[in-house]
Amino acid sequence: MRGPLTLLAHSFKRARTLVLVMGALLAIFQVFLIVVAKSLQKSNAFAQIGALIPPFMREMLGPSLTSFLSFDGLVCVGYFHLAVMGSLVALSIALSTAPTSEIETGFMDLILARPLARHWIITRSILVLGVCTLALLAMMMGGTWAGLQMLAPKDVAWPASGLILSLAINLGLLMLCWGGVAMAIGSASRRRSVAGALAGLLALATFLMDYVARAWPPAESVAWLSPFRYYSPFELLMGSPLPARNLIVLAGIASTGFALAYILFSKRDISQ
Amino acid sequence: MNSADTTQSAISIRGITKRYGNLTAVSNLHLEVNRGEILGFLGLNGAGKTTTIRILLDLLRPTSGSAFVFDRHCQNDGLNARSLIGYLPGELGVYSHLTGREVLDFLAGLSRHPVDLKYRGELQERLELPSRDLHRKLREYSTGMKRKLGLIQALQGDPPLLILDEPTEGLDPLMQESFYAMLADVRKRGRTVFMSSHVLSEVARVCDRVALLRKGELVLSSAVEELRKLAPRRVRVIFSEPMDSHPGFPTGHEIVEIAPRYWSLRVEGMLGPLLELLTTLPVQDIEIEELRLEDVLIKYYREGTS
Repeated sequence: MRGPLTLLAHSFKRARTLVLVMGALLAIFQVFLIVVAKSLQKSNAFAQIGALIPPFMREMLGPSLTSFLSFDGLVCVGYFHLAVMGSLVALSIALSTAPTSEIETGFMDLILARPLARHWIITRSILVLGVCTLALLAMMMGGTWAGLQMLAPKDVAWPASGLILSLAINLGLLMLCWGGVAMAIGSASRRRSVAGALAGLLALATFLMDYVARAWPPAESVAWLSPFRYYSPFELLMGSPLPARNLIVLAGIASTGFALAYILFSKRDISQ
Repeated sequence: MNSADTTQSAISIRGITKRYGNLTAVSNLHLEVNRGEILGFLGLNGAGKTTTIRILLDLLRPTSGSAFVFDRHCQNDGLNARSLIGYLPGELGVYSHLTGREVLDFLAGLSRHPVDLKYRGELQERLELPSRDLHRKLREYSTGMKRKLGLIQALQGDPPLLILDEPTEGLDPLMQESFYAMLADVRKRGRTVFMSSHVLSEVARVCDRVALLRKGELVLSSAVEELRKLAPRRVRVIFSEPMDSHPGFPTGHEIVEIAPRYWSLRVEGMLGPLLELLTTLPVQDIEIEELRLEDVLIKYYREGTS
Protein backbone atom coordinates (compact mmCIF):
# COMPACT_ATOMS: atom_id res chain seq x y z
CA MET A 1 0.00 0.00 0.00
CA ARG A 2 3.03 2.28 0.17
CA GLY A 3 2.76 3.33 -3.48
CA PRO A 4 -0.99 4.09 -3.52
CA LEU A 5 -0.74 6.05 -0.27
CA THR A 6 2.16 8.10 -1.64
CA LEU A 7 0.14 8.85 -4.76
CA LEU A 8 -2.92 9.76 -2.71
CA ALA A 9 -0.95 12.06 -0.43
CA HIS A 10 0.62 13.77 -3.43
CA SER A 11 -2.77 14.27 -5.09
CA PHE A 12 -4.37 15.71 -1.96
CA LYS A 13 -1.47 18.08 -1.60
CA ARG A 14 -1.91 19.16 -5.18
CA ALA A 15 -5.67 19.77 -4.84
CA ARG A 16 -5.38 21.35 -1.38
CA THR A 17 -4.90 25.00 -2.32
CA LEU A 18 -7.60 25.02 -4.98
CA VAL A 19 -10.15 23.37 -2.70
CA LEU A 20 -9.31 25.58 0.27
CA VAL A 21 -9.54 28.77 -1.77
CA MET A 22 -12.76 27.71 -3.43
CA GLY A 23 -14.23 26.50 -0.13
CA ALA A 24 -13.37 29.82 1.49
CA LEU A 25 -15.00 31.75 -1.36
CA LEU A 26 -18.15 29.64 -1.16
CA ALA A 27 -18.27 30.02 2.62
CA ILE A 28 -17.92 33.79 2.23
CA PHE A 29 -20.73 33.68 -0.33
CA GLN A 30 -22.96 31.96 2.23
CA VAL A 31 -22.19 34.70 4.73
CA PHE A 32 -22.82 37.34 2.07
CA LEU A 33 -26.26 35.85 1.34
CA ILE A 34 -27.08 36.01 5.04
CA VAL A 35 -26.07 39.69 5.07
CA VAL A 36 -28.36 40.33 2.10
CA ALA A 37 -31.20 38.31 3.62
CA LYS A 38 -30.81 40.20 6.90
CA SER A 39 -30.94 43.52 5.08
CA LEU A 40 -34.04 42.55 3.08
CA GLN A 41 -35.67 41.21 6.21
CA LYS A 42 -34.98 44.42 8.11
CA SER A 43 -36.47 46.58 5.38
CA ASN A 44 -39.35 44.17 4.94
CA ALA A 45 -38.44 43.95 1.23
CA PHE A 46 -39.27 40.27 0.64
CA ALA A 47 -42.97 41.05 0.17
CA GLN A 48 -42.19 43.97 -2.13
CA ILE A 49 -39.91 41.83 -4.30
CA GLY A 50 -42.63 39.19 -4.48
CA ALA A 51 -45.09 41.77 -5.74
CA LEU A 52 -42.67 42.87 -8.47
CA ILE A 53 -42.36 39.38 -9.95
CA PRO A 54 -44.43 39.06 -13.16
CA PRO A 55 -47.32 36.62 -13.10
CA PHE A 56 -45.79 34.18 -15.63
CA MET A 57 -42.74 33.86 -13.41
CA ARG A 58 -44.96 33.24 -10.40
CA GLU A 59 -46.71 30.52 -12.37
CA MET A 60 -43.43 28.99 -13.43
CA LEU A 61 -41.91 28.97 -9.98
CA GLY A 62 -45.17 27.94 -8.31
CA PRO A 63 -45.46 27.73 -4.56
CA SER A 64 -41.68 27.51 -4.21
CA LEU A 65 -41.60 31.26 -4.78
CA THR A 66 -42.99 31.85 -1.32
CA SER A 67 -40.34 29.74 0.28
CA PHE A 68 -37.64 31.38 -1.77
CA LEU A 69 -38.71 34.92 -0.84
CA SER A 70 -37.98 34.61 2.82
CA PHE A 71 -34.98 34.93 5.09
CA ASP A 72 -34.37 31.20 5.35
CA GLY A 73 -35.14 30.70 1.65
CA LEU A 74 -32.56 33.25 0.59
CA VAL A 75 -29.98 31.74 2.93
CA CYS A 76 -30.47 28.43 1.11
CA VAL A 77 -29.84 30.02 -2.31
CA GLY A 78 -26.14 29.49 -1.67
CA TYR A 79 -26.71 25.78 -2.33
CA PHE A 80 -28.35 26.14 -5.74
CA HIS A 81 -27.20 29.48 -7.10
CA LEU A 82 -26.05 29.11 -10.68
CA ALA A 83 -22.57 30.40 -9.87
CA VAL A 84 -22.22 27.96 -6.97
CA MET A 85 -23.46 24.97 -8.94
CA GLY A 86 -21.38 25.97 -11.96
CA SER A 87 -18.16 26.35 -10.01
CA LEU A 88 -18.69 23.10 -8.10
CA VAL A 89 -19.39 21.15 -11.27
CA ALA A 90 -16.36 22.78 -12.92
CA LEU A 91 -14.18 21.78 -9.97
CA SER A 92 -15.48 18.20 -10.16
CA ILE A 93 -14.58 18.09 -13.83
CA ALA A 94 -11.14 19.54 -13.14
CA LEU A 95 -10.38 17.04 -10.38
CA SER A 96 -11.71 14.11 -12.39
CA THR A 97 -9.67 14.87 -15.47
CA ALA A 98 -6.42 15.06 -13.49
CA PRO A 99 -5.24 11.64 -14.82
CA THR A 100 -5.59 12.92 -18.39
CA SER A 101 -3.48 15.92 -17.48
CA GLU A 102 -0.87 13.64 -15.91
CA ILE A 103 -0.70 11.66 -19.14
CA GLU A 104 -0.43 14.83 -21.20
CA THR A 105 2.45 16.22 -19.16
CA GLY A 106 4.33 12.92 -19.03
CA PHE A 107 3.99 12.68 -15.25
CA MET A 108 1.98 9.49 -15.65
CA ASP A 109 4.97 7.85 -17.36
CA LEU A 110 6.98 8.29 -14.19
CA ILE A 111 4.13 7.05 -11.99
CA LEU A 112 3.21 3.99 -14.02
CA ALA A 113 6.83 3.05 -14.69
CA ARG A 114 6.79 2.12 -11.00
CA PRO A 115 5.13 -1.01 -9.67
CA LEU A 116 1.74 0.65 -9.30
CA ALA A 117 -1.39 -0.90 -10.78
CA ARG A 118 -3.38 1.31 -13.12
CA HIS A 119 -6.59 0.99 -11.13
CA TRP A 120 -4.97 3.00 -8.35
CA ILE A 121 -4.93 6.04 -10.61
CA ILE A 122 -8.73 5.98 -10.86
CA THR A 123 -9.24 4.95 -7.23
CA ARG A 124 -7.02 7.84 -6.18
CA SER A 125 -9.02 10.28 -8.31
CA ILE A 126 -12.34 9.05 -6.90
CA LEU A 127 -11.04 9.41 -3.34
CA VAL A 128 -9.71 12.90 -4.03
CA LEU A 129 -13.01 13.89 -5.64
CA GLY A 130 -15.01 12.45 -2.75
CA VAL A 131 -12.92 14.05 -0.01
CA CYS A 132 -12.77 17.41 -1.80
CA THR A 133 -16.54 17.37 -2.31
CA LEU A 134 -17.06 16.67 1.39
CA ALA A 135 -14.58 19.38 2.36
CA LEU A 136 -16.24 21.97 0.12
CA LEU A 137 -19.72 21.19 1.37
CA ALA A 138 -18.49 21.22 4.96
CA MET A 139 -16.93 24.65 4.40
CA MET A 140 -20.14 25.92 2.80
CA MET A 141 -22.21 24.62 5.70
CA GLY A 142 -19.65 26.07 8.10
CA GLY A 143 -20.09 29.43 6.36
CA THR A 144 -23.87 29.20 6.69
CA TRP A 145 -23.68 28.23 10.34
CA ALA A 146 -21.13 30.93 11.21
CA GLY A 147 -23.08 33.56 9.26
CA LEU A 148 -26.33 32.67 11.00
CA GLN A 149 -24.66 32.66 14.40
CA MET A 150 -23.12 36.08 13.87
CA LEU A 151 -25.59 37.92 11.65
CA ALA A 152 -29.08 36.44 11.71
CA PRO A 153 -31.74 38.68 13.25
CA LYS A 154 -33.20 37.23 16.43
CA ASP A 155 -36.81 37.33 15.28
CA VAL A 156 -36.48 35.25 12.08
CA ALA A 157 -36.59 31.53 11.53
CA TRP A 158 -33.34 29.93 10.45
CA PRO A 159 -33.36 27.32 7.75
CA ALA A 160 -33.68 23.89 9.33
CA SER A 161 -30.35 22.11 9.64
CA GLY A 162 -31.98 19.10 8.00
CA LEU A 163 -32.83 21.24 4.98
CA ILE A 164 -29.28 22.53 4.65
CA LEU A 165 -27.93 19.02 5.00
CA SER A 166 -30.37 17.69 2.38
CA LEU A 167 -29.37 20.43 -0.06
CA ALA A 168 -25.70 19.73 0.59
CA ILE A 169 -26.10 15.96 0.12
CA ASN A 170 -28.04 16.40 -3.11
CA LEU A 171 -25.52 18.97 -4.37
CA GLY A 172 -22.62 16.72 -3.36
CA LEU A 173 -24.07 13.83 -5.34
CA LEU A 174 -24.56 16.12 -8.32
CA MET A 175 -20.84 16.96 -8.10
CA LEU A 176 -19.90 13.28 -7.91
CA CYS A 177 -22.17 12.56 -10.85
CA TRP A 178 -20.37 15.08 -13.05
CA GLY A 179 -17.07 13.86 -11.66
CA GLY A 180 -17.94 10.35 -12.82
CA VAL A 181 -18.96 11.55 -16.28
CA ALA A 182 -15.79 13.63 -16.64
CA MET A 183 -13.58 10.79 -15.40
CA ALA A 184 -15.03 8.40 -17.97
CA ILE A 185 -14.52 10.93 -20.77
CA GLY A 186 -11.02 11.77 -19.50
CA SER A 187 -10.04 8.10 -19.40
CA ALA A 188 -10.64 7.86 -23.12
CA SER A 189 -9.09 11.22 -24.03
CA ARG A 190 -5.56 12.28 -24.85
CA ARG A 191 -6.03 15.91 -23.84
CA ARG A 192 -7.43 17.28 -20.64
CA SER A 193 -8.74 20.35 -22.44
CA VAL A 194 -10.78 18.13 -24.74
CA ALA A 195 -12.11 16.00 -21.89
CA GLY A 196 -12.90 19.04 -19.77
CA ALA A 197 -14.58 20.87 -22.62
CA LEU A 198 -16.69 17.83 -23.55
CA ALA A 199 -17.80 17.26 -19.97
CA GLY A 200 -18.43 20.99 -19.49
CA LEU A 201 -20.49 21.27 -22.66
CA LEU A 202 -22.47 18.20 -21.68
CA ALA A 203 -23.14 19.76 -18.27
CA LEU A 204 -24.23 23.01 -19.86
CA ALA A 205 -26.45 21.27 -22.40
CA THR A 206 -28.16 19.13 -19.78
CA PHE A 207 -28.56 22.10 -17.45
CA LEU A 208 -30.29 24.05 -20.22
CA MET A 209 -32.38 20.99 -21.06
CA ASP A 210 -33.62 20.84 -17.47
CA TYR A 211 -34.11 24.60 -17.32
CA VAL A 212 -36.14 24.72 -20.51
CA ALA A 213 -38.25 21.76 -19.42
CA ARG A 214 -39.25 23.62 -16.25
CA ALA A 215 -40.72 26.45 -18.35
CA TRP A 216 -41.82 24.59 -21.47
CA PRO A 217 -43.80 21.37 -20.87
CA PRO A 218 -43.00 19.66 -24.21
CA ALA A 219 -39.35 19.49 -23.18
CA GLU A 220 -40.34 17.42 -20.16
CA SER A 221 -40.19 14.25 -22.24
CA VAL A 222 -36.39 14.45 -22.48
CA ALA A 223 -35.66 16.28 -19.24
CA TRP A 224 -35.22 13.01 -17.36
CA LEU A 225 -31.93 12.64 -19.23
CA SER A 226 -30.47 15.64 -17.43
CA PRO A 227 -28.67 14.96 -14.12
CA PHE A 228 -29.79 18.42 -13.00
CA ARG A 229 -33.36 17.12 -12.99
CA TYR A 230 -32.35 15.07 -9.94
CA TYR A 231 -31.38 18.10 -7.90
CA SER A 232 -34.59 19.81 -6.81
CA PRO A 233 -33.76 22.49 -4.27
CA PHE A 234 -37.13 24.21 -4.58
CA GLU A 235 -38.97 21.05 -3.58
CA LEU A 236 -36.69 20.71 -0.61
CA LEU A 237 -37.31 24.35 0.29
CA MET A 238 -41.03 23.66 0.28
CA GLY A 239 -40.52 20.99 2.86
CA SER A 240 -40.41 17.83 0.76
CA PRO A 241 -38.11 15.14 2.10
CA LEU A 242 -34.91 14.40 0.21
CA PRO A 243 -36.09 12.14 -2.62
CA ALA A 244 -34.25 8.83 -2.53
CA ARG A 245 -34.84 8.41 -6.26
CA ASN A 246 -32.81 11.54 -7.02
CA LEU A 247 -29.94 10.31 -4.90
CA ILE A 248 -30.02 6.86 -6.46
CA VAL A 249 -30.02 8.22 -10.00
CA LEU A 250 -27.12 10.63 -9.31
CA ALA A 251 -25.15 7.96 -7.47
CA GLY A 252 -25.91 5.55 -10.31
CA ILE A 253 -24.56 7.93 -12.95
CA ALA A 254 -21.47 8.60 -10.82
CA SER A 255 -20.85 4.87 -10.29
CA THR A 256 -21.33 4.09 -13.96
CA GLY A 257 -18.87 6.86 -14.84
CA PHE A 258 -16.31 5.55 -12.37
CA ALA A 259 -16.75 1.97 -13.60
CA LEU A 260 -16.29 3.10 -17.20
CA ALA A 261 -13.21 5.06 -16.17
CA TYR A 262 -11.69 1.93 -14.58
CA ILE A 263 -12.33 -0.10 -17.73
CA LEU A 264 -11.18 2.52 -20.22
CA PHE A 265 -8.07 3.45 -18.26
CA SER A 266 -7.02 -0.16 -17.82
CA LYS A 267 -7.17 -0.75 -21.57
CA ARG A 268 -5.81 2.48 -22.98
CA ASP A 269 -2.31 3.28 -24.19
CA ILE A 270 -0.53 5.82 -22.03
CA SER A 271 0.88 8.17 -24.61
CA GLN A 272 1.12 11.91 -24.85
CA MET B 1 15.47 -10.59 -7.53
CA ASN B 2 14.08 -14.06 -7.24
CA SER B 3 16.83 -16.65 -7.17
CA ALA B 4 14.61 -18.88 -9.28
CA ASP B 5 15.30 -16.68 -12.28
CA THR B 6 17.48 -18.77 -14.48
CA THR B 7 17.31 -17.02 -17.80
CA GLN B 8 20.32 -15.12 -19.06
CA SER B 9 18.12 -12.41 -20.49
CA ALA B 10 17.32 -9.26 -18.61
CA ILE B 11 14.98 -8.29 -21.44
CA SER B 12 13.40 -10.65 -23.87
CA ILE B 13 11.31 -9.20 -26.66
CA ARG B 14 9.51 -11.84 -28.68
CA GLY B 15 7.91 -10.82 -31.91
CA ILE B 16 6.44 -7.55 -30.75
CA THR B 17 4.33 -5.58 -33.19
CA LYS B 18 2.62 -2.32 -32.39
CA ARG B 19 0.20 -0.78 -34.85
CA TYR B 20 -1.71 2.47 -34.72
CA GLY B 21 -4.35 2.05 -37.36
CA ASN B 22 -2.45 1.71 -40.62
CA LEU B 23 0.83 2.82 -39.11
CA THR B 24 3.16 0.13 -37.86
CA ALA B 25 5.41 1.61 -35.19
CA VAL B 26 7.23 -1.64 -34.36
CA SER B 27 7.16 -4.72 -36.55
CA ASN B 28 7.84 -8.23 -35.31
CA LEU B 29 10.71 -7.18 -33.09
CA HIS B 30 12.83 -9.89 -31.51
CA LEU B 31 15.56 -8.79 -29.15
CA GLU B 32 17.40 -10.24 -26.19
CA VAL B 33 19.34 -8.12 -23.73
CA ASN B 34 21.70 -10.15 -21.60
CA ARG B 35 22.07 -9.62 -17.91
CA GLY B 36 24.83 -7.26 -16.95
CA GLU B 37 25.31 -5.74 -20.37
CA ILE B 38 24.77 -2.24 -21.67
CA LEU B 39 22.75 -2.24 -24.84
CA GLY B 40 22.55 0.82 -27.03
CA PHE B 41 19.18 1.07 -28.73
CA LEU B 42 19.58 3.13 -31.87
CA GLY B 43 17.39 4.46 -34.61
CA LEU B 44 16.24 7.63 -36.27
CA ASN B 45 13.33 9.59 -34.83
CA GLY B 46 10.17 7.58 -35.31
CA ALA B 47 12.03 4.31 -35.73
CA GLY B 48 10.11 2.76 -32.82
CA LYS B 49 12.64 3.03 -29.97
CA THR B 50 10.37 4.84 -27.54
CA THR B 51 7.41 2.65 -28.48
CA THR B 52 9.47 -0.42 -27.59
CA ILE B 53 10.54 1.11 -24.29
CA ARG B 54 6.94 2.02 -23.46
CA ILE B 55 5.81 -1.53 -24.17
CA LEU B 56 8.43 -2.82 -21.73
CA LEU B 57 6.96 -0.48 -19.11
CA ASP B 58 3.39 -1.51 -19.99
CA LEU B 59 2.55 2.07 -20.87
CA LEU B 60 1.64 0.77 -24.32
CA ARG B 61 0.07 -2.58 -25.11
CA PRO B 62 1.54 -4.46 -28.07
CA THR B 63 -0.73 -5.45 -30.94
CA SER B 64 0.96 -8.85 -30.89
CA GLY B 65 3.98 -10.52 -29.36
CA SER B 66 5.23 -10.36 -25.82
CA ALA B 67 8.04 -8.90 -23.77
CA PHE B 68 9.66 -10.08 -20.58
CA VAL B 69 11.87 -8.42 -17.99
CA PHE B 70 13.79 -10.99 -15.96
CA ASP B 71 11.19 -13.57 -17.01
CA ARG B 72 8.28 -11.41 -15.88
CA HIS B 73 5.74 -10.77 -18.59
CA CYS B 74 5.64 -7.00 -19.06
CA GLN B 75 1.87 -6.94 -19.49
CA ASN B 76 0.52 -9.90 -17.51
CA ASP B 77 2.97 -9.55 -14.63
CA GLY B 78 3.74 -5.88 -15.14
CA LEU B 79 3.94 -4.91 -11.47
CA ASN B 80 6.70 -7.41 -10.75
CA ALA B 81 8.46 -6.55 -14.00
CA ARG B 82 8.40 -2.83 -13.26
CA SER B 83 9.60 -3.35 -9.70
CA LEU B 84 12.94 -4.30 -11.28
CA ILE B 85 13.22 -1.28 -13.56
CA GLY B 86 14.57 2.22 -13.14
CA TYR B 87 13.29 4.42 -15.95
CA LEU B 88 14.49 7.71 -17.33
CA PRO B 89 12.01 9.14 -19.84
CA GLY B 90 13.13 11.24 -22.77
CA GLU B 91 11.49 14.23 -21.17
CA LEU B 92 10.92 14.52 -17.44
CA GLY B 93 7.24 15.41 -17.13
CA VAL B 94 7.05 16.74 -13.62
CA TYR B 95 5.13 19.65 -12.17
CA SER B 96 7.21 22.78 -11.96
CA HIS B 97 5.87 23.80 -8.55
CA LEU B 98 7.50 20.75 -6.94
CA THR B 99 11.02 20.86 -5.56
CA GLY B 100 13.62 18.37 -6.71
CA ARG B 101 13.50 16.64 -3.35
CA GLU B 102 9.71 16.34 -3.50
CA VAL B 103 9.98 14.67 -6.90
CA LEU B 104 12.62 12.22 -5.69
CA ASP B 105 10.71 11.41 -2.48
CA PHE B 106 7.43 11.02 -4.33
CA LEU B 107 8.89 8.66 -6.92
CA ALA B 108 10.81 6.75 -4.25
CA GLY B 109 7.52 6.34 -2.37
CA LEU B 110 5.97 4.63 -5.39
CA SER B 111 8.66 1.96 -5.41
CA ARG B 112 8.43 -1.24 -3.47
CA HIS B 113 11.64 -0.79 -1.53
CA PRO B 114 12.83 2.21 0.42
CA VAL B 115 15.58 4.22 -1.21
CA ASP B 116 19.04 4.21 0.34
CA LEU B 117 19.56 7.90 1.03
CA LYS B 118 23.30 7.40 1.21
CA TYR B 119 23.30 6.06 -2.33
CA ARG B 120 21.08 8.92 -3.45
CA GLY B 121 23.60 11.30 -1.88
CA GLU B 122 26.42 9.66 -3.84
CA LEU B 123 24.48 10.06 -7.06
CA GLN B 124 23.85 13.71 -6.25
CA GLU B 125 27.51 14.22 -5.60
CA ARG B 126 28.60 12.57 -8.82
CA LEU B 127 26.10 14.52 -10.87
CA GLU B 128 26.81 17.70 -8.94
CA LEU B 129 23.25 18.29 -7.85
CA PRO B 130 23.68 19.37 -4.22
CA SER B 131 20.91 19.26 -1.63
CA ARG B 132 20.40 23.01 -1.75
CA ASP B 133 19.43 22.64 -5.42
CA LEU B 134 17.00 19.90 -4.50
CA HIS B 135 15.16 22.39 -2.31
CA ARG B 136 14.51 24.63 -5.29
CA LYS B 137 11.35 24.42 -7.36
CA LEU B 138 11.66 22.73 -10.72
CA ARG B 139 10.64 25.89 -12.52
CA GLU B 140 14.06 27.23 -11.51
CA TYR B 141 15.90 24.22 -12.93
CA SER B 142 17.86 24.36 -16.16
CA THR B 143 17.50 21.58 -18.75
CA GLY B 144 20.71 20.00 -17.51
CA MET B 145 19.58 20.05 -13.89
CA LYS B 146 16.30 18.39 -14.84
CA ARG B 147 18.26 15.71 -16.65
CA LYS B 148 20.40 15.12 -13.59
CA LEU B 149 17.28 14.86 -11.46
CA GLY B 150 15.86 12.38 -13.96
CA LEU B 151 18.98 10.26 -13.76
CA ILE B 152 18.94 10.30 -9.96
CA GLN B 153 15.29 9.23 -9.80
CA ALA B 154 15.99 6.37 -12.22
CA LEU B 155 19.09 5.20 -10.37
CA GLN B 156 18.17 5.92 -6.74
CA GLY B 157 16.48 2.57 -6.15
CA ASP B 158 19.54 0.75 -7.54
CA PRO B 159 17.32 -1.42 -9.79
CA PRO B 160 18.62 -4.48 -11.62
CA LEU B 161 17.58 -2.98 -14.97
CA LEU B 162 17.89 0.61 -16.12
CA ILE B 163 15.92 1.80 -19.11
CA LEU B 164 17.26 5.16 -20.17
CA ASP B 165 15.82 7.21 -23.00
CA GLU B 166 18.44 9.61 -24.37
CA PRO B 167 20.25 9.82 -21.01
CA THR B 168 22.86 12.45 -21.86
CA GLU B 169 20.54 14.81 -23.70
CA GLY B 170 21.05 18.21 -22.09
CA LEU B 171 24.08 17.22 -20.01
CA ASP B 172 27.27 19.22 -20.40
CA PRO B 173 30.45 17.32 -21.41
CA LEU B 174 31.71 17.08 -17.83
CA MET B 175 28.45 15.63 -16.61
CA GLN B 176 28.43 13.25 -19.55
CA GLU B 177 31.78 11.97 -18.32
CA SER B 178 30.37 11.54 -14.82
CA PHE B 179 27.42 9.69 -16.28
CA TYR B 180 29.68 7.33 -18.23
CA ALA B 181 31.63 6.63 -15.05
CA MET B 182 28.37 5.91 -13.25
CA LEU B 183 27.35 3.53 -16.01
CA ALA B 184 30.65 1.71 -15.67
CA ASP B 185 30.02 1.32 -11.94
CA VAL B 186 26.50 0.13 -12.51
CA ARG B 187 27.77 -2.49 -14.93
CA LYS B 188 30.45 -3.60 -12.48
CA ARG B 189 27.69 -4.30 -9.99
CA GLY B 190 25.97 -6.54 -12.52
CA ARG B 191 23.15 -4.23 -13.44
CA THR B 192 21.74 -4.19 -16.97
CA VAL B 193 21.31 -1.00 -18.96
CA PHE B 194 19.05 -0.56 -21.96
CA MET B 195 19.62 2.89 -23.35
CA SER B 196 18.40 4.65 -26.42
CA SER B 197 20.67 7.27 -27.84
CA HIS B 198 21.32 9.44 -30.84
CA VAL B 199 24.93 9.99 -29.88
CA LEU B 200 26.81 7.29 -31.75
CA SER B 201 30.16 8.11 -30.17
CA GLU B 202 28.54 7.62 -26.78
CA VAL B 203 27.13 4.26 -27.81
CA ALA B 204 30.49 3.20 -29.20
CA ARG B 205 32.14 4.18 -25.97
CA VAL B 206 29.85 2.77 -23.29
CA CYS B 207 27.79 -0.01 -24.83
CA ASP B 208 28.59 -3.70 -25.08
CA ARG B 209 26.07 -4.26 -27.81
CA VAL B 210 23.95 -2.20 -30.15
CA ALA B 211 20.56 -2.83 -31.68
CA LEU B 212 19.42 -0.62 -34.49
CA LEU B 213 15.80 -0.08 -35.46
CA ARG B 214 14.74 1.21 -38.81
CA LYS B 215 11.09 1.94 -39.54
CA GLY B 216 10.07 -0.33 -36.68
CA GLU B 217 12.24 -3.24 -37.75
CA LEU B 218 15.44 -4.49 -36.20
CA VAL B 219 18.17 -4.18 -38.82
CA LEU B 220 21.21 -4.71 -36.66
CA SER B 221 21.95 -6.42 -33.39
CA SER B 222 25.60 -6.92 -32.71
CA ALA B 223 28.35 -6.66 -30.15
CA VAL B 224 30.23 -3.39 -30.40
CA GLU B 225 33.50 -5.31 -30.75
CA GLU B 226 32.09 -7.25 -33.69
CA LEU B 227 31.05 -4.03 -35.34
CA ARG B 228 34.49 -2.59 -34.83
CA LYS B 229 35.89 -5.57 -36.70
CA LEU B 230 33.52 -4.83 -39.53
CA ALA B 231 34.59 -1.22 -39.60
CA PRO B 232 36.75 -0.48 -42.64
CA ARG B 233 40.17 1.06 -42.06
CA ARG B 234 41.83 3.75 -44.09
CA VAL B 235 45.39 2.92 -45.06
CA ARG B 236 47.76 5.54 -46.40
CA VAL B 237 50.95 4.31 -48.00
CA ILE B 238 53.82 6.65 -48.85
CA PHE B 239 56.51 5.44 -51.22
CA SER B 240 60.14 6.41 -51.33
CA GLU B 241 60.01 6.56 -55.15
CA PRO B 242 57.20 7.16 -57.66
CA MET B 243 55.05 4.21 -58.54
CA ASP B 244 54.09 4.08 -62.19
CA SER B 245 51.29 1.59 -61.74
CA HIS B 246 49.61 -0.32 -58.99
CA PRO B 247 49.08 -4.03 -58.73
CA GLY B 248 45.64 -5.59 -58.36
CA PHE B 249 44.40 -5.25 -54.83
CA PRO B 250 42.90 -8.09 -52.82
CA THR B 251 39.11 -8.24 -52.29
CA GLY B 252 37.72 -5.70 -49.85
CA HIS B 253 40.31 -3.08 -50.84
CA GLU B 254 39.00 0.09 -52.35
CA ILE B 255 41.14 2.89 -53.79
CA VAL B 256 40.23 6.25 -52.34
CA GLU B 257 43.08 8.27 -53.82
CA ILE B 258 46.10 7.35 -55.84
CA ALA B 259 49.20 9.46 -56.67
CA PRO B 260 52.72 8.50 -57.87
CA ARG B 261 54.13 8.43 -54.32
CA TYR B 262 50.93 8.02 -52.33
CA TRP B 263 48.02 5.62 -52.08
CA SER B 264 44.99 6.00 -49.94
CA LEU B 265 42.96 2.82 -49.57
CA ARG B 266 39.85 1.75 -47.72
CA VAL B 267 40.27 -1.77 -46.39
CA GLU B 268 37.55 -4.02 -45.09
CA GLY B 269 38.66 -7.13 -43.21
CA MET B 270 42.18 -8.35 -42.50
CA LEU B 271 45.20 -6.23 -43.39
CA GLY B 272 47.49 -9.23 -43.95
CA PRO B 273 47.10 -9.52 -47.75
CA LEU B 274 47.83 -5.82 -48.23
CA LEU B 275 50.90 -5.91 -46.01
CA GLU B 276 52.15 -8.93 -47.92
CA LEU B 277 51.75 -7.00 -51.18
CA LEU B 278 53.53 -3.96 -49.78
CA THR B 279 56.64 -5.92 -48.81
CA THR B 280 57.51 -6.06 -52.49
CA LEU B 281 57.22 -2.29 -52.94
CA PRO B 282 59.47 0.65 -51.87
CA VAL B 283 57.33 1.69 -48.91
CA GLN B 284 58.53 4.67 -46.86
CA ASP B 285 55.67 4.94 -44.40
CA ILE B 286 52.26 3.47 -43.62
CA GLU B 287 49.43 5.13 -41.76
CA ILE B 288 46.48 3.03 -40.62
CA GLU B 289 43.46 4.95 -39.46
CA GLU B 290 40.66 3.06 -37.82
CA LEU B 291 37.31 4.36 -38.93
CA ARG B 292 34.88 5.20 -36.20
CA LEU B 293 32.05 2.88 -35.28
CA GLU B 294 29.71 5.75 -36.05
CA ASP B 295 30.68 5.45 -39.70
CA VAL B 296 29.56 1.84 -39.72
CA LEU B 297 26.31 2.65 -38.01
CA ILE B 298 25.57 5.60 -40.22
CA LYS B 299 25.63 3.21 -43.15
CA TYR B 300 22.65 1.41 -41.62
CA TYR B 301 20.84 4.68 -41.01
CA ARG B 302 21.48 5.79 -44.58
CA GLU B 303 20.24 2.58 -46.06
CA GLY B 304 17.02 3.33 -44.28
CA THR B 305 16.64 6.77 -45.69
CA SER B 306 17.49 5.93 -49.26
